[in-house]
Amino acid sequence: MVTRRTAIGAGLAFGSVAWAAGFGVYGATVQGRSEARSVDVLLIDDSLEMSGQMAAFIQAGRRALPVVGFQLDAAGHAGLMRVLNKSQAIAGISSGATLFCLERIAWDHGFRLTGRSEGYASDPGDDAFRQDVVVFISGTEPAAASASPLARAYRPSRADGMLHAWIMQKSGPQLRQHRREA
Amino acid sequence: MKLPPNVSEADFTAALKAFASIVGDQWLFTTDEDLELYRDSYSILWGEADERTASAAVAPDNADQVVELVKIADRYRIPIYPISTGKNLGYGGAAPALTGSVVFDLKRMNRIVEIDEQHGYVVVEPGVSYFDLYNYIQEKGLKLWIDVPSPGWGSVLGNALDGGVGVTLAPYRSHFDAHCGMEVVLPNGRMMRTGMGAMPGAKTWQQFKPGFGPRIDGLFKQSNYGVVTKMGFWLMPSPENFATGVVTVPKFHDLIPLVDIVGQLEQSQIVQGLWNLSSPTTGTPAFAAHESGPPKPLDSTIAAILNDPGGVDMNKLDAAAQSKGLPFWACDFNFYGPEKLIKAQWDCVCDALRAIPGAKFKLGEIRSLPLSLEEQAKTRDLGPFGIPTLKTFDLGPMYSYEGADVVGHIFFSPVIPRTGEAAIEAMDVFAAIGRKYKLPGPPLQFPSTIFQRAFLFAVGLPVTRSPTVNAKIRDIIRELVAVSAERGWGEYRTAPAFYDLIMGTYSYNDHALRGLLETIKDAVDPNGIMSPGRYAIRSRHPGEGAG
Repeated sequence: MVTRRTAIGAGLAFGSVAWAAGFGVYGATVQGRSEARSVDVLLIDDSLEMSGQMAAFIQAGRRALPVVGFQLDAAGHAGLMRVLNKSQAIAGISSGATLFCLERIAWDHGFRLTGRSEGYASDPGDDAFRQDVVVFISGTEPAAASASPLARAYRPSRADGMLHAWIMQKSGPQLRQHRREA
Repeated sequence: MKLPPNVSEADFTAALKAFASIVGDQWLFTTDEDLELYRDSYSILWGEADERTASAAVAPDNADQVVELVKIADRYRIPIYPISTGKNLGYGGAAPALTGSVVFDLKRMNRIVEIDEQHGYVVVEPGVSYFDLYNYIQEKGLKLWIDVPSPGWGSVLGNALDGGVGVTLAPYRSHFDAHCGMEVVLPNGRMMRTGMGAMPGAKTWQQFKPGFGPRIDGLFKQSNYGVVTKMGFWLMPSPENFATGVVTVPKFHDLIPLVDIVGQLEQSQIVQGLWNLSSPTTGTPAFAAHESGPPKPLDSTIAAILNDPGGVDMNKLDAAAQSKGLPFWACDFNFYGPEKLIKAQWDCVCDALRAIPGAKFKLGEIRSLPLSLEEQAKTRDLGPFGIPTLKTFDLGPMYSYEGADVVGHIFFSPVIPRTGEAAIEAMDVFAAIGRKYKLPGPPLQFPSTIFQRAFLFAVGLPVTRSPTVNAKIRDIIRELVAVSAERGWGEYRTAPAFYDLIMGTYSYNDHALRGLLETIKDAVDPNGIMSPGRYAIRSRHPGEGAG
């Protein structure tokens, strides 16, 4: 389901409990930042279980960026199509499994993964990953102009306990646009 | 510039220029960044010299453009590889069968050409995904269901051409068998329609499959002989209700009468929905049989038997299960339709299976359809309701194999006789190989009942980014294929790395099948441009064509 949120509050946007107090860097360097445009929308993987602390962290970091929660079901897919058609650059917080799917769906709309960072949910107090998350979700960091091979190398898992923050930018051909009826 | 085999740079450049003149420069892709998207994310040859990669990709908007592109390819003898949405992960993805091929990316062709609620059919172009078609039907309020594979982001047409399957009623589960009529661009650029569509102005193209004369639709499965640009599918009328009935039987060898009896019920069309095998003893999950909450931890005695390095002793397991009061098998039956019909079908199932001593029966709630969004959110598997999702990507546990991260899977998909004896033999054989190589996964894998008259074992083997580990997996698959062929079990579908290996097992009468397919290939595609090498079918005139 896609729900557009204007605010994220404790218990409002995200589920509960699985995410521990902090975020540790796991090879976490923001890859491929350079030129280009600012982010239009922040996508949040609704299937993630996230602590109230993380929700608050995102709320504090995201500033005025519109937030869209999504799941990869039929209703969520329809909403995602609208977001991808309208946006030029998107940021997101998701599991690796969701990112794997979303990246491939977004390819067909011309998006390329230009930056990504990941952290262990159970590794408390890592400032570097926190900083990366803030950079991505604030929408103030411009997405890079082209795809980053390094950003694309991640484990497409949900069960590994990793949280991924990422940016994609529309820089390729938009192969899928609106569904057409003959 | 990467060149197709046996094509000069001058010819390839001229062909690309001609392609661009048809589709526009923006729909011709030759940069490394764009071509990266046409790699197979689950390639078992990732990063190795033999990984199959494209030289270019071109994305037409309509069938007329496909005609012109194919004519150009034929003129310059450029190997082409049509894909619909390219999401066929585990069986090759968007990557061509022959390195250097030009991928024809058809996802821009995403028109729902016609949908007929009264007669229950739809005509789609290759770029229409299951999500697209489902959402279209919902928006229009049509009383139709689609049969979806897992996952649902693939093309309706492409999944059918590649032998994909779903999980609703038997007549709709085999997606190629559920099609009715197709439009194809042949390798010489001539457009053709099959079945009744061969008649101009035909009124029954999607209502009568055989047409007039030989039925040739099967030739275009897997795109060896043409680019399919439209395809009709029969759709299921929305059922009124859904229910799952669970039958449990106590002993391991009860599988033998269970399969025999259910087979009779299926052949009589009493059982039409999918039925699934699971085991409360081994903890192997299905759907309704384990609906209430997360799986319970295995009993320590049973766990010890299951994880015996020497293999599972079924007699010990049987005895342990019975001492704990656990049935060995659970069998879920899905029913659709009016409440009266569901109850009647369930009664027939119970009457038949009471022949097995100790069998127990429980019919779940008869749920009125359609499911509300809230009910959908609470339902673990929406496939039986004809609703596409990508939840399957959430299911796989994270693991590594031989020290390398697992990034995906490759399927080994043998078809096994529909008997309990054959299922037990297959479980033994594949479990032994799993133990031998310490493959991740449950100690016992059960057969899938997705096909009507044969079992399918869809074994997902790990894919990594380590060439060493991937080479080991390839060796394991070769062993699995050989062991299966010795027993008369053939694979119905495979990834590109194994096309030749598996086609080689279909060798009756000195490879007469492949001989005929190659003869047809030579006649229909003399320059060998159409998906050369796909499922090991090639032109027999190398040097004259790209194949």
